[in-house]
Amino acid sequence: MQILAQLIVSGIAVGMIYGVIAFGYQLTFATSKTLNFGQGEALMLGSLVGWSLVAYTGYLIMLPVVLAFGLLQGAVVERLGVRQAIKTKSEAGWIMATIALGIIFRNLAENIWGRDALKFPSPLPEAPLSFMGVNVLPMELVIVVGALAMMLAVEVFNRRSIYGRAFVATAGDRDAAGLVGVNTSLVITFSYAMSSMAAAFAGVLIAPVTLTGASMGGVLGLKGFAVAIIGGLSSGFGVVVGGLILGITENLTGFYLSTGYKDVPGLLLLLLVLSLKPSGLFGKAAIKKV
Amino acid sequence: MLIVQGLVAGYGRVKVLHGISLEVAEGQLVTLIGSNGAGKTTTLRALSGMIKPEAGKITLAGADITGLPSFQITKRGLAHSPEGRRVFANLPVADNLLLGAFTRLTGSRPKGDVLRDRDRMYELFPRLAERRAQYAGTLSGGEQQMLAMARALMLNPQVLLLDEPSMGLAPKLVEEVFVIIARLKRERVTMLLVEQFAAAALDVADFGYVMENGRLSVSGPAAALKTDPAVRAAYLGAAH
Amino acid sequence: MLNSSLKALALAALAVFPFAISSPYYLHLLVVIMIYSVVTLGLDVVFGYTGEVSVGHAALFGIGAYTAGVLADSLGINFWWALPAGVIVAAGFGALLALPALRVTGPYLAMVTLAFGTIVQILINEMTFLTEGPLGIALKRPLVFDWRPFADVLPFLKMPAKKMADVQFYYIVVIALVLTLLVVSRLLASRFGRAFEALRDSPIACDCMGVSVYKHKVLAFVISAGFAGLGGVLFAYSELYIAPNNFGFDLSITFLLAVTMGGRKSRAGPIIGAAVVVFLPNLLADIQLFRIAAGIVAAVAVAGGAVHMFRKPEERGRIAIPVALCVAFFVFALYLERITDYKLTIFGLMILFVVYYLPDGIYGFVRQILPSQRLKHGIAGNEAAAWASAAPATGGEALLEVQQIVMQFGGLKALDRVDLSIRAGTVHGLIGPNGSGKSTMMNVLTGIYTPTAGSVVFLGSPVGGHTPSDIAGRGIARTFQNVQLFAELTLLENVMVGLHHTYKGGMAGAALCSPRERREELAARTRAAGLLRFVGLDGAAHEEARNLPYGKQRLLEIARALALDPKLLLLDEPAAGLTAPDIQDLMRIIRKIRDHGITMVLIEHHMDVVMSVCDTVSVLDFGQKIAEGTPGEVQRDEKVLSAYLGGSHATVAA
Repeated sequence: MQILAQLIVSGIAVGMIYGVIAFGYQLTFATSKTLNFGQGEALMLGSLVGWSLVAYTGYLIMLPVVLAFGLLQGAVVERLGVRQAIKTKSEAGWIMATIALGIIFRNLAENIWGRDALKFPSPLPEAPLSFMGVNVLPMELVIVVGALAMMLAVEVFNRRSIYGRAFVATAGDRDAAGLVGVNTSLVITFSYAMSSMAAAFAGVLIAPVTLTGASMGGVLGLKGFAVAIIGGLSSGFGVVVGGLILGITENLTGFYLSTGYKDVPGLLLLLLVLSLKPSGLFGKAAIKKV
Repeated sequence: MLIVQGLVAGYGRVKVLHGISLEVAEGQLVTLIGSNGAGKTTTLRALSGMIKPEAGKITLAGADITGLPSFQITKRGLAHSPEGRRVFANLPVADNLLLGAFTRLTGSRPKGDVLRDRDRMYELFPRLAERRAQYAGTLSGGEQQMLAMARALMLNPQVLLLDEPSMGLAPKLVEEVFVIIARLKRERVTMLLVEQFAAAALDVADFGYVMENGRLSVSGPAAALKTDPAVRAAYLGAAH
Repeated sequence: MLNSSLKALALAALAVFPFAISSPYYLHLLVVIMIYSVVTLGLDVVFGYTGEVSVGHAALFGIGAYTAGVLADSLGINFWWALPAGVIVAAGFGALLALPALRVTGPYLAMVTLAFGTIVQILINEMTFLTEGPLGIALKRPLVFDWRPFADVLPFLKMPAKKMADVQFYYIVVIALVLTLLVVSRLLASRFGRAFEALRDSPIACDCMGVSVYKHKVLAFVISAGFAGLGGVLFAYSELYIAPNNFGFDLSITFLLAVTMGGRKSRAGPIIGAAVVVFLPNLLADIQLFRIAAGIVAAVAVAGGAVHMFRKPEERGRIAIPVALCVAFFVFALYLERITDYKLTIFGLMILFVVYYLPDGIYGFVRQILPSQRLKHGIAGNEAAAWASAAPATGGEALLEVQQIVMQFGGLKALDRVDLSIRAGTVHGLIGPNGSGKSTMMNVLTGIYTPTAGSVVFLGSPVGGHTPSDIAGRGIARTFQNVQLFAELTLLENVMVGLHHTYKGGMAGAALCSPRERREELAARTRAAGLLRFVGLDGAAHEEARNLPYGKQRLLEIARALALDPKLLLLDEPAAGLTAPDIQDLMRIIRKIRDHGITMVLIEHHMDVVMSVCDTVSVLDFGQKIAEGTPGEVQRDEKVLSAYLGGSHATVAA
């Protein structure tokens, strides 16, 4: 029982990270029906930039710089990889271009930071706290709080500021948003910036618990996909639950089956959800227009 | 206020408009009538930048707005209440109205009067006041139409384009919409109205254009068009 | 003529190649190119034709290879059994992925296949009891036929046993490639290829022609997976050693790059692309060679750009960017010291460049320059051939019963408890102001919308719960208010998509070009020509539909809908945008269709059309039926007058 509780608790932290990545996918999908297939690389870059900075600047200065870097990186991806493809309505175009950018980013990171995994210093004590026999790392608590705070901040921005409402409006009806004076292509760029910022943030959150390195992005990006599909690409709340489901299932698989198979339930869940409820567990089915 | 010369536009390779020239003078209500598929909606879409014109020139208050993206045309004061209402279903009524004034709320423009304008809209459309907190997607068709018009008016536009404000509305609501259009006209809002109910549109308009297969065929003062036998036969008498 | 002699020449070159060269290296290189070609030709079916992106073809390729490896390693089963086994296993996995992932439109297939690629690598690594894990599996190449005895007579056959096995395997791969080419070509030229293209141009119209988009997308992916599996088996026996990292994400992207760079939707393109990507690692391994290649690319770009600028000066800005990029790339190549570190960056840049500046690929670029070979002339259609031998329906009983239909979108009731009864053999008009629910009714009848409440009964059985393509198959055809043609197909092909249901032969028949398939294709062609003749479009049968004037597009939609042999034909504003003489033609066509016993529902705003062709007219307003009767009755109805003139009764004080 205690083992089970322990597995669930540590699954929650990693699940929240998946949730944040999936949240990033949702942001761009909402405004433009496109996704950054290099989202994992955005996370990796954020994490590595943070790693380089943290020794000189400390955590408090490093964090805003990493967030700003994420914004910029996302905007670059949109300009180079997505904008043209949206214009020509080429799905293959943006998929290939964002994959290509992801490959380039990973290769550049390998050349800058090397191919080995790096230890990210933890801002908090690394001794676990014990609640009724279940060990929790302080950093894991920070991950959960940080992830929720990040999603909440974006949600508040969307609901309260006029720019946030313009964002929601663009997601709802791009033409109509243009008609009220919203520069919708800028909103799309902005959604990419925010999406990469979320990923970069997730990168510095998770790095102290795992390790960081040029190859950390690929698998995390995929997990984000799985969570986005499980929770629903259009449901903000779904990714949190989807992330938790995946994080916990993986931990259970890793323990009861074999750590080698840890990444398998993600795909199985993904296929299962697509067969049973294609719009995701919490998504609403779209109405086709003729 | 709005001058259109030789406008050619369409979708992809399909040309819908073959050289449209029309003019809307300040404070006037001009209507564009014609059968379905004649190109009325396409004209409005080309004017507001939803589709790019292939040729021709559009001038708004003396400034050339041809080929600009729609958000810049809106910034210059052209509001468009589009066909099919296109309200933001995922936002409350109150936010839909605020977004109508988006260009007034951003940058360095004065912001205080936007909320006052919104209250004015609630006064003009009392139904919207009752539902201000409701998501626009849950409104009935008539209420959505009111919201679309109110949202466009929130711009305090130089010219207001209205695309089929009566579409899908019960007769009683159609009457209400036309009462509001008449009131706006009294307040000297410059409008270009596209309407399937040609008779009703000509009743309220100052000037009218008749559109056929992507070209303007007849034009003249609304009262004259209403009695023009050719127009009567083709459009007004359509349902008889 | 030129085309077929080119093909013969290529085949002859492939046949003598092993005897013409002595280096086993080049023989092997050619084998790998041909194996990759098998995969890319298959990938093109999905990626080029249906437009779906698969980022998991390397994994399917790997599954084929490991099927061969595991069969040989664990069970001692040889190459010949591994071939079909690899194809079937890979196709099975393809179905497993495609069935859920293609249920929804969007980038789901790409996401799922990407995840699949990673999982497959993990599984191969983990399932050591089958796959030997990271150690990999070694295989032995089969020697099919020992020709040493004949070497005395034919001296060129004289070679050591190992080389003999190499050469024989080379021929096996040549045969596999030729068979792949044949099967893919025939399949894509058949009704399946037409369906793949049609579903991309207009998925909704495709479903409404009884050609299920979902089913055909899955089919395309499964076929494609099968070829990836075939390539995998060949690859295993070509390399003689397979390990998990042979089949990673990068290889999937390489396949995609090959198809895009070579040229989608062609046979030559994927083969050219395969050759380029096989040479690519060699190119990227040698810095000098790489610099020379980058220099050549830059020179070609500058020269090509200059020519283009001379011809079309107005496109100067658009051309300058890629040319500048090519030159910058050359400078980058000169500057670069150690190329291996930046191999993937170069690879990524190539993808970006191809996606932006060479979207039709090398072959597409060449084809643009060469004159088009497309047939321009019309065909002689025979109107008598247009109709299936259905007896005219006797009027009277109800063909379609709609009861208490409600369709609600959010707070909006587009249809509010509407009843409708369509009698067989009649033309039933559906009129009402814009937005009164007419098109919504069409979408409910054809299964595009599932109504919130109420029932639709067609020919005595309920329609509810069936997909649009099922409903179309049961005999309801339609046209669309916003014309939905298959833009890149010819007129004839558009109609032939509607004739999909007339084929009884299966896919194997289409792939092998069986006599039955040929017979059915010919019959469909004749009928399609007849239908085009019927609507007066036979003169432009080989034009692409997108080049047709708007009014004619509507007529083509009618011909296509008639191809379905419908019992009920729904026409959604067929006269919209038509000129007066066109409308006269249309009315003549509608009457003729009725004479052939096809019941029709007609949505129309042109009252003269409605009044002259309809037997019964129902009037919708604000989602409710407000009147029904003969045209004359409806015309005199007070409620109808006020609905249509609603605004004019609100005589407002202006």
